[in-house]
Amino acid sequence: GCLVILWYKGNGNPSEVPLGCFFVLGLGRQGSDSCFLIIFKEPEAQGSNVTSPRPPKYKIGQACLARPGVQNPCPLPALFRPCRGRKARGPGVLGEAGAKLRADPAERPGRAAWSPGGRWHPREERPRPPGSAADSESAPRRGAAGRRPASRGWGRVVLPLGPPTPARQWFAPNTPPRAAGTAARPASGRCRALYPVSARPRLRRRRRDAVPDPLRVPGVQPFALCLPEGELPSRETFPACINNSSVFSVRFFRTTAVCKDDVITVKTPAFAESVTEGDVRWEKAVGDTVAEDEVVCEIETDKTSVQVPSPANGVIEALLVPDGGKVEGGTPLFTLRKTGAAPAKAKPAEAPAAAVPKAEPATSAVPPPPAASIPTQMPPMPSPSQPLTSKPVSAVKPAAAPPVAEPGAGKGLRSEHREKMNRMRQRIAQRLKEAQNTCAMLTTFNEIDMSNIQEMRARHKDAFLKKHNLKLGFMSAFVKASAFALQEQPVVNAVIDDATKEVVYRDYIDISVAVATPRGLVVPVIRNVEAMNYADIERTISELGEKARKNELAIEDMDGGTFTISNGGVFGSLFGTPIINPPQSAILGMHGIFDRPVAVGGKVEVRPMMYVALTYDHRLIDGREAVTFLRKIKAAVEDPRVLLLDI
Amino acid sequence: MLIPFSMKNCFQLLCNLKVPTSGFKNQVKSGFILQSISNDVYQNLAVEDWIHDHMNLEGKPVLFLWRNSPSVVIGRHQNPWQECNLNLMREEGIKLARRRSGGGAVYHDMGNINLTFFTTKKKYDRMQNLKLVVRALNAVQPQLDVQATKRCDILLDGQFKISGTASKIGRTTAYHHCTLLCSTNRTFLSSSLKSPYQGIRSNATTSIPSIVKNLLEKDPTLTCEVLMNAVAAEYAAYHQIDNHINLINPTDETLFPGINNKAKELQTWEWIYGKTPKFSINTSFNVLDEQSHLEIKIFIDIKNGRIETCNIEAPDHWLPLEICDKLNSSFIGSKFCPIETTMLTNLLLRTCPGDNELHSKWNILCEKIKGIM
Repeated sequence: GCLVILWYKGNGNPSEVPLGCFFVLGLGRQGSDSCFLIIFKEPEAQGSNVTSPRPPKYKIGQACLARPGVQNPCPLPALFRPCRGRKARGPGVLGEAGAKLRADPAERPGRAAWSPGGRWHPREERPRPPGSAADSESAPRRGAAGRRPASRGWGRVVLPLGPPTPARQWFAPNTPPRAAGTAARPASGRCRALYPVSARPRLRRRRRDAVPDPLRVPGVQPFALCLPEGELPSRETFPACINNSSVFSVRFFRTTAVCKDDVITVKTPAFAESVTEGDVRWEKAVGDTVAEDEVVCEIETDKTSVQVPSPANGVIEALLVPDGGKVEGGTPLFTLRKTGAAPAKAKPAEAPAAAVPKAEPATSAVPPPPAASIPTQMPPMPSPSQPLTSKPVSAVKPAAAPPVAEPGAGKGLRSEHREKMNRMRQRIAQRLKEAQNTCAMLTTFNEIDMSNIQEMRARHKDAFLKKHNLKLGFMSAFVKASAFALQEQPVVNAVIDDATKEVVYRDYIDISVAVATPRGLVVPVIRNVEAMNYADIERTISELGEKARKNELAIEDMDGGTFTISNGGVFGSLFGTPIINPPQSAILGMHGIFDRPVAVGGKVEVRPMMYVALTYDHRLIDGREAVTFLRKIKAAVEDPRVLLLDI
Repeated sequence: MLIPFSMKNCFQLLCNLKVPTSGFKNQVKSGFILQSISNDVYQNLAVEDWIHDHMNLEGKPVLFLWRNSPSVVIGRHQNPWQECNLNLMREEGIKLARRRSGGGAVYHDMGNINLTFFTTKKKYDRMQNLKLVVRALNAVQPQLDVQATKRCDILLDGQFKISGTASKIGRTTAYHHCTLLCSTNRTFLSSSLKSPYQGIRSNATTSIPSIVKNLLEKDPTLTCEVLMNAVAAEYAAYHQIDNHINLINPTDETLFPGINNKAKELQTWEWIYGKTPKFSINTSFNVLDEQSHLEIKIFIDIKNGRIETCNIEAPDHWLPLEICDKLNSSFIGSKFCPIETTMLTNLLLRTCPGDNELHSKWNILCEKIKGIM
């Protein structure tokens, strides 16, 4: 046999070495085929600040037998107790059958046994458990071994447990002394091991005094190993390592303490600086797959946030503490079922689809900032490159469809993915359909020659900027023209009240201007436009734009409105039909300005032309009024002097 | 003598002697002192995260000094509605940020210095850092009565708090940051950290209010520059490194690759508001209806910043029940945010028939609801 001494640190990384300290001594005379393992554990350093999330590979309760040539030591039984006399022995594992085997122990030559307390005493000094049958039997026994396992069969060996303890403790710590006649086996089911005892006579004495007592090393705390409660060794689980030639034939059997856990319980790491407790904040939930070292939860202790990583790849089975619950160092936190596979990063590549803001399509595509030749860029509008769009369905929508279509999809990819409609979109859809179902919508078109307005703007924009500190855009021209036309055609400013079947004519003109913000489409309202001039309109538009950009629009800014203007021209649309914004009756859609050859005064000239569309509710507005209205807008924009002259 | 840590324990065991640890303490000969040139709270917090995640601090402790434009920084597991006055902050333009370390809410402005001590997990020691700060203050002004308390605050004259602490321990590195009040605007501090919102029930970490005082009020020579230099000098002396403050630009991707993404993440609504632990609001307010006051009760549960359940109870004669129900159901799933609410209610408004009286009641109700967000 050989003697192996292992020394390892008590703290630090989880070690592969058993935690317990135990030793097996068996000095077979004829050489056993067993090795003996002595393992020492250092005491833990005080105040260690280390978290050890991983449980040790072997639990307390497992001891290992290392045999020469055996790669994986098989676990030893934990407690060894010298065999008592016949009376002291309980039924044992074999029950009644075992009792028969153990019949008449006095006849059988015993073996030297481990002495209680883990130490070899000369017989005289050996502490005897009170009332044990050994007292009476010791005399007739021969040999200095004292009490011996007197028969073949199953005996028990108790692990020496430290410095000599009073007799009552020698078979298991904390177990009360056994009264005479009661079962030798501790009723609490604490650890025990059984081994068959060789019945061969022992002719030679062992020199027990020569045995070093490894437990005497200073500073080393031997542990008591025990099988987990309720674990009974069974004969079937014994690996066959009976050694008949040795003094002791010890059979070691595997405990059922799990060597390789599939489900591990992760405990709270030790807290630093003598903090006692903290709050748990969960980052992951039950059923989440986590990778090794991925943060599962954070523990907040006294202004410190400590992360608890996962010890291995796996799936979280259960959270043992509620969110915000208090834990102390060592409290079990969660159980993890190891899977061995790291979770795939489940971020779909179709993030762009999700990134398309839930609101209107206009926001997703930052349209290529139109060239300066298309002066429909409304300068004071928020997110300056974001255009105005009509509400909500307009010619713009088809332009935005491409961003929604997966840009990352290569050719030939035929997968699809689903995304739940969010509430905003559901509501918009519902509202649009309602509008379509109630109004009798149709659209009339016209075209506007923008050369005059462009020329006016070019001439006066600097003076305008100097006086009002605002840029002069085209929106003000259209808003003012619409207000003028609405005054001339009040029915376009009116609305049908379906509940009372009345037509409500309004004396004020509130024009809603559709604006695209990062958060979605908003439609702020310019109030009482009939009283404003170009400068006032520009000022209001810029203020509203600023508010919208800073997301400060209040409800009253967006409530009401009797007429809407939307501008699809920035996207470059040529022609299109806007959709009415309930509860209004009409909407004006402006499109892009493109140079086109037109007939002017009998000659062909190239002019910057813009198509405008008016969608109106035919229940209220007849064709003649709608067309007249649009022509008035055209006249007022093409020649602003019409507004002055009121013609 | 450089004895590896593991062997040190062995010696303890075998020789049964206590090897003094002080001999091993001051082995670090390298380290940095960094100062941020940016005053953006998000960028500075991103620098902290970057150093925590990417730097190997073995033997190289780092001190990071930074100051922010007016902002309120709440701890990782705090509830902004409970901790600060969001309406006031929106009006005044005070930013809100959530840091990754725990602890309570603080107000930052240019009169407040932030110090972050980065070390490995093993060398993490908050009291040592605070004692260093106290020594630095005493070096500048020996008569100053500053003490570090057990709760890791620094008290001036035994009663005024001039510094608060928070920290984060990761797997291998840890950092401990604290503030130092030099010349903060105390009115904004107290008003922005005082929450007007009622009826919030949550298990988020709460802040403990304390009386504060500026060091400048105590001694006019203690400006921010002076204090930063003093702390840097003391740190350099303690760790035996060069007393040289390196200025860093938190937006420099070459120096800190990936830092702009961290800064962006810190600014998202999902991080600032969405990481609030689950809480519920149970409050009521009064509306005026033809000379009488009506009470409207609100019960809202919020998880991850989004409304999970919403129950707004208004008297039936004032607002029809189906409209209330529509409002309730529309709020579920949306963010607990006034802008979002505005958009939602505006949309809803358009689906209702054009009844001016109803609209005005609706407006009043929605304004009140936004007031609690």
